[in-house]
Amino acid sequence: MRKVLITHNELCVGCHLCEEVCSQAWFKEINPAKSAIRITELGNADWGMAVCNQCGECIAVCPTEALYRDKAGVVRIKKDLCVGCLSCVGFCPTRTMYYYAGYVEPFKCISCGLCAKECPAEALAAETLPD
Amino acid sequence: MIRVNNKWEIEWQPGMTIRDLLVACKFTHHYVAVSVNGRLVPAEEYDTWLVADRDEVQVIHIIAGG
Amino acid sequence: MEMKEITQERIEALRAGHKVLAEFHYEPRPVERGYAGKTLYVNVSTNTIGAKPVDERMKRTFIGGRGFDLWLLWNAVKSDTRWDSPENEIVIASGPLGGIVQYPGTGKSIAVTISPLTGIPVDSNVGGYFGPLLKFSGFDALEVQGIADREVIVFIDGNAGLVQIMEAPEESVNSHILAEEIVALFGQTPQEKQGVSSVSSGVGAEHTLIGCLNFSFYDPRRKLTRLKQAGRGGIGTVLRKKKIKALVVKYVGVKGDSNHPTDLETIQQVGAKMHREIYERDPIMFTMRLDGTNHLTKIMNDYDILPVHNFRYGSHPEAEKIYSPHFQKYFVYDAPDGCWYGCTLACAKFAAGLELRTGPYKGQTVTVDGPEYETVAGIGANCGIWDAHAVLEANFYCDAYGIDTISFGTAMAFAMECYEEGILTPEITGGLKLNFGNADAMLEALHQMSRGEGFGVIIGQGVRRMKQIFVERYGADPQFLQDIGMEAKGLEYSEYVTKESLAQQGGYGLANKGPQHDEAWLIFMDAVNNQIPTFEDKAEALHYFPMWRTWFGLNGLCKLPWNDVEPADNRTRYKGIEAAKVPEHVENYVRLFRAMTGRDDVQSGADLIRMSEAVYNFQRIFNLKMGSGTREHDAIPYRSVGPVTDAEYESRAERYDQQLRELVGVDPSGMTTAEKRQALRRYREAQYEKLIDAVYKRRGWNERGIPTLEKVRELGIDFPEVVALIEAHTQKGT
Repeated sequence: MRKVLITHNELCVGCHLCEEVCSQAWFKEINPAKSAIRITELGNADWGMAVCNQCGECIAVCPTEALYRDKAGVVRIKKDLCVGCLSCVGFCPTRTMYYYAGYVEPFKCISCGLCAKECPAEALAAETLPD
Repeated sequence: MIRVNNKWEIEWQPGMTIRDLLVACKFTHHYVAVSVNGRLVPAEEYDTWLVADRDEVQVIHIIAGG
Repeated sequence: MEMKEITQERIEALRAGHKVLAEFHYEPRPVERGYAGKTLYVNVSTNTIGAKPVDERMKRTFIGGRGFDLWLLWNAVKSDTRWDSPENEIVIASGPLGGIVQYPGTGKSIAVTISPLTGIPVDSNVGGYFGPLLKFSGFDALEVQGIADREVIVFIDGNAGLVQIMEAPEESVNSHILAEEIVALFGQTPQEKQGVSSVSSGVGAEHTLIGCLNFSFYDPRRKLTRLKQAGRGGIGTVLRKKKIKALVVKYVGVKGDSNHPTDLETIQQVGAKMHREIYERDPIMFTMRLDGTNHLTKIMNDYDILPVHNFRYGSHPEAEKIYSPHFQKYFVYDAPDGCWYGCTLACAKFAAGLELRTGPYKGQTVTVDGPEYETVAGIGANCGIWDAHAVLEANFYCDAYGIDTISFGTAMAFAMECYEEGILTPEITGGLKLNFGNADAMLEALHQMSRGEGFGVIIGQGVRRMKQIFVERYGADPQFLQDIGMEAKGLEYSEYVTKESLAQQGGYGLANKGPQHDEAWLIFMDAVNNQIPTFEDKAEALHYFPMWRTWFGLNGLCKLPWNDVEPADNRTRYKGIEAAKVPEHVENYVRLFRAMTGRDDVQSGADLIRMSEAVYNFQRIFNLKMGSGTREHDAIPYRSVGPVTDAEYESRAERYDQQLRELVGVDPSGMTTAEKRQALRRYREAQYEKLIDAVYKRRGWNERGIPTLEKVRELGIDFPEVVALIEAHTQKGT
């Protein structure tokens, strides 16, 4: 079982509201560089939606066991164990482990679904998938 | 005759590719940069790039070692 | 490391034996811009402990790491200090970039001492957590002086601000058990255990001159302690002479900003970029994450560079049996293998399930870190032992006993050749049949080193002393032993055949500490790629690369992430030697250094080279202080230059004959093999002398290999004692 934020790129209108909701929820400010989901313009009215798919490959590269999969199947970071080496950032297959320069620990999507609730285009959905 | 790394001379054969030349030189290292007459050859063309007689070939082995 | 649990009862027994002999309290302060600003001095003769300040000139001149080590050691020893004199020290340091977690290869410690093998300073660069944890505990370096009158442990608690010398009669001496005991003694939770690192050796170091230091780190996934070795130059022998069982540091709380850098953002950006590069490039380049340095064995054999039978030859038909796949069978990949946080190049391989067939731990199933290429080449190929299990078993026991695998392999290969040549007989070796390929004899000699008995102890004195002993006691031909004994300055060669690379002959012969490849590794650039054909080209390479590589040691860094992976566009953006410098990575280091220290005057790679040049020249002058450091000490054995015997010549006759015709200008037809060999030898030896002339000139040294006064003034190392030394030696004339 794995709770994942599903993206429907074809529905995305590029309003960036998800980024605002995410950074507001987790960093108490509106700043796309502090969002765990990133919307990029691909041209031709297409939008790229980069967010963690909870594959968990980062867990294996963490030297301090700060990364783990919780009961809902979401990959999470124990900040007190994390030293901030950013190995996981470099080794994320989808490049969706993020860091904000100056903050020691990285951050990622934990499939909370707040952005999905706000998405006007219904391009996002927090779903629980079977393994 | 093909001159390799300004050091060795290898008998040229009709239809000889970069790959054939590497084999003739016993250059087994998988990570090399090959230039023919000063021009870098993309690695994906080693099997198809034909070397001509009297070409000057440079095979740089990229290896960090100890 | 033994998989057996250490019982609570055992821990209590160890603790009951502890008696504090000296104690020092200090106020822990955060590291600022990569420096703790103090060094720690411990004397185990007098049981005194103190802190020394690090001033701005020390930082500017010596940077840190090996630079600090050498400066502290210089001030501690006299020109007649020997390795076993009480004033000799073991100095261990990280460096200003040490302990960065965001960039790979930033956890190195550099250990320095007056070597029992060479009588001059030896520096050894090693992984494990000790150096960074020492710095975060408040000390840029640790000096240990004196000789204890009983077995002791030096314990540094960086969180509490406490340093103790404690009597430690009960702990094991062999590192694979001792390191586990230390972690059990000083760490409770997994986080605490990860905050404990020890430096130790083993019983083999007590009976030989080739003792190594083991630096530990705790692996929280496998729940055991792993060891990395400061192998070269017998530093472990010095540790055991001092009756020190372990140097221990404990610091819990490492974070990505523990160094308090000037500019954390830049360090993060450069680090994240590098992690990505390794993720994308390592699998298609050198597979360090999969093989460690083992990928080299096949390459060296293919190119006639793998030392076989005491460096006689460069390849062997059976070499395939010790290629990487035979070790991969033992490797376990279930955890990140960096020897410091954030090292994604992760070359430290973890071999498990090794069932020991010999020795005191026979029958036990153990784990071992490694083996490194050098171990495989030295104990395997060089001794003709084509048996992966035997190599791993020797690797395990070398680490446990505190013995350097490189000196062990090279010394063993020398003894084996002497045995095959009839110089040694079974009567002399006490029945050890030291034929090439005899794994049992190799392992038995190793166990003898641990017991302090038998011919193994003679081998453990190293090649230079063996030569002397075999000449004096067994009437061996001194010239022949000089030719085949692979040592220079008293240190055993590391494991590359240099016969076809003049530049690498210099890389070994001119290395400050003796023939270790960490100063320069130019074999392919020189002998295969032919990129440095002239003496001037070679001299330039023997200036740039040793200086560049020295810089890693000044900063607490590992060399591997510099050129064991390259950016995808490195070879299209840069040509020739420039590409071999990996300019984008040099730029990474410039940015890291500036971001850490805030030194805005550091703008380019040339500024980094200048830092190294000061320390490198200082070390050369340190050699001079200790009675070495001049041209005659840069001499190398002919085995590293060309074929010593007819059999060697004939094995590559086509190559050598061609060289006689084309390079020497001699027609080999009609000459005997011995005549051809001698003609080639005259030529090659003259080439080496010309190379030395060119390198000395490039480095700003006189023709005897002494840095000029002008040079030392330019580098800011014109301390009164330095100037006096140079003047004294220059007046002696040539």
